[in-house]
Amino acid sequence: MSRAHEVRTLLRGALRPPENDSAFLLDVHRRAVSTERMARYDDSHAVDLVIVGAGAGGGTLAQRLARRGWKVVVLESGPFWDPDEDWVSDEAGSHRLYWTDERITGGEDPVELGKNNSGHGVGGSMVHYAGYCPRFHPSDFEVRTRDGVGEDWPISYWELKRHYERLELELPVSGDYWPWGDPHRYPHTPHPIAGGAEAAVGGAEKLGIMMKVGPVGITNGSFGNRPHCIYRGFCLQGCKVNAKASPLVTHIPDAIAHGAEIRADCMVTAVELDDASGRVTGVRYIHDGSERMQWADAVAVAGYSIETPRLLLNSTSKRFPHGLANQNDQVGRCVMVQGAPHVAARFPEEARMYKMPPPEISSEQFYETDPARGFVRGFAIQTVGPLPIEHAQHVLGHGHWGQALRAYMRDYNHWYTLGVLCELLPLPENRVTVSSEVKDQNGIPVARMDYSQCENDRKNIAFAKQTLKDIYEAGGAQDTLITDRYAHLVGGCRMGSDPERSVVDSDHRAWEVPNLFLADGSVMPTQGSANPAITIMALASRLAERLDLKRLDGRSASSRRFPGRRRTAPSPPRDPRPLRAGSRTDGS
Amino acid sequence: MPAYDFRRAEHLPNLRPEGRPPSPEELPRQRNGVTPQMHGRYPDYNVLDEADHWDPVTRRMVFERVEKPPPIRFFTGAEAATVQVFCDLVLAQDREPKIPVLNMVDAKLFAGELDGFRYADMPDDRETWRRLPRGLDAAARQHGCPNFVDASEEVQRKVIDALAHGELHGEVWDELPPSRTWKVVTRAILSAFYSHPWAWNEIGFGGPAYPRGYARFGLGQRESWEGAPAFERDPVKDTQG
Repeated sequence: MSRAHEVRTLLRGALRPPENDSAFLLDVHRRAVSTERMARYDDSHAVDLVIVGAGAGGGTLAQRLARRGWKVVVLESGPFWDPDEDWVSDEAGSHRLYWTDERITGGEDPVELGKNNSGHGVGGSMVHYAGYCPRFHPSDFEVRTRDGVGEDWPISYWELKRHYERLELELPVSGDYWPWGDPHRYPHTPHPIAGGAEAAVGGAEKLGIMMKVGPVGITNGSFGNRPHCIYRGFCLQGCKVNAKASPLVTHIPDAIAHGAEIRADCMVTAVELDDASGRVTGVRYIHDGSERMQWADAVAVAGYSIETPRLLLNSTSKRFPHGLANQNDQVGRCVMVQGAPHVAARFPEEARMYKMPPPEISSEQFYETDPARGFVRGFAIQTVGPLPIEHAQHVLGHGHWGQALRAYMRDYNHWYTLGVLCELLPLPENRVTVSSEVKDQNGIPVARMDYSQCENDRKNIAFAKQTLKDIYEAGGAQDTLITDRYAHLVGGCRMGSDPERSVVDSDHRAWEVPNLFLADGSVMPTQGSANPAITIMALASRLAERLDLKRLDGRSASSRRFPGRRRTAPSPPRDPRPLRAGSRTDGS
Repeated sequence: MPAYDFRRAEHLPNLRPEGRPPSPEELPRQRNGVTPQMHGRYPDYNVLDEADHWDPVTRRMVFERVEKPPPIRFFTGAEAATVQVFCDLVLAQDREPKIPVLNMVDAKLFAGELDGFRYADMPDDRETWRRLPRGLDAAARQHGCPNFVDASEEVQRKVIDALAHGELHGEVWDELPPSRTWKVVTRAILSAFYSHPWAWNEIGFGGPAYPRGYARFGLGQRESWEGAPAFERDPVKDTQG
């Protein structure tokens, strides 16, 4: 652990994160991010970088590069959320947080998309993620070398470590001392846990399984103008409190203050290529029903594991008739999800699992390969707190309908739920393609995702489910309900050291296009058993550093410091803290 | 005499002979507010009493669900009649008061508010819903009944159970995989039913929680305003139909 990081974590959140004032730029009394002083770039002039997607990858990349003086425009297909007005404390009413345009899901073990794993709007899927922010383990980066499966990354854990540490201060992450992977501390102390989680801890202890509290991207103490968590349990419906981290509150405000433009409601339909030079020139997008073109010296696509491959595959040209950067037929391949079954358990006392953030405790004791288990790689154990609709789906999935469904649901308050994240292996035949028949409302072919498990995947999931059941039985559960499901999405355009087996190099640059970068979870060659959000952010943070060090040719020679002309010329505030009464709550 | 001791789990179908659920008539009747069919596991708890503690955006939306059930615009009259019987059986809504699930599902389909994916071997969700009533009729005919609506409840239940287990064949079901159809339609049905505050009353769910939040998390604990489970049947109210 670096010395500076050690000092910071000992001070436990009493210091503000370096070079990111987002938490201090938010208003105390309103949740919306102010865009009054946001730069507006004329799209006919080339900016330094256009980013497609304002989620974990795009939001972080924009903030980092805006800080370094780059002229950045982020095009986001969804809205610029105002949590006060747009979000509700309600399960069914949160439908619009998800990517609900048509997609096709196939293969032997098809994956539910939409609500389960796909975001929409500024902040991306992190707006409705649970909040878990574990790092990857060092082993995740060398799975082929260690276990003979999957793929090695072209970079190691140690190249991301600094970025993890920085992001843990920016989100900020709260949790127990973390003994697994590369052991580390978190800047905020762990949150309290509910009775149901206590019962799970007790059951796990009897089996010799250690559970830890966190790590979650939820403030626990003073952090700029972000309030403390109120433990209302609606993390998956968008945090109306602003306590849970998402790029909307952790990186977008600082990006805007440093001259980035976040242009919402802009659906990018194609990356444009100059066939003569082989460089990309910008992106086409649809805003308010009309097509526009944003010129840029470089393009970073951060649309996540389905929309990123879809955009590349739909961007055809003479040079790339089968999709941009797809000469080797690698775009869309090795898309991954984690096996994420839930096991709900019934206790004599009421547990009321709708309270508290769903992420409470977790264990990575089964994360690494153990030959005795009969499969390679492993899984993590985490809490989940399904609200009534989701719990009802689990009950019905067990064949209980009619009076049996109602009887189980009347018993909702006695149930508590644990989940696992099983590392499923990257398989080339699991891939995103574009449909030849189905088009969206803009006439653009929709994505199709095919997914099938391999034998190792099935063994891993079965073992993990049994482990959860054992924990609950040791903890005194009277009945259990097990539900098979998936969580998260990564891969699809992986990074690598061999152009024949990857889409981008270790600097996220497309092998075949010198000024095209991918800045999201699609570049991940493996997924570990960790929730991917903070790793996607860490990768974007590292990419920003690589781009700015000019080790890369991302910016053409003509693009210097200020190539784009602004419609308005904002002056980013000298003191980024808003001069309002609320600034006295500043934690520094 | 309490109908059950809820600390024990003997009312749960998994722990009962042949998985049969107990009759909800053994529960008290709801005494405050409404639950579907007035079954009262938390008979004195009405989540709508708490509406003053909700943010205005959420409050508007939840009250609209209760006060303005949308008209039927997606389904035809005949389709609606069949789907109504199906929804009522899936949710055991055998008498009033009923949550208007059919109307809520219809509104989503009419507005084209879909879930962001469809299975490769399935049509668009709207088309699945159109074919469902035809498929239910086809399955009822295989039992010698003219159609699903006019079949006996026993036949209707057999058809639904076969759908849930992916065991329907012939006509519509040769092109529409029954187990996926079950997934698609129940996703919408459950989403409608358990988004309604009457269902929250029945299960003792706290409902919208912003900006108040929660403070008591231990096993067996509840907030001062949350409903207590009750086993006692009220000698007057619980004996009235």
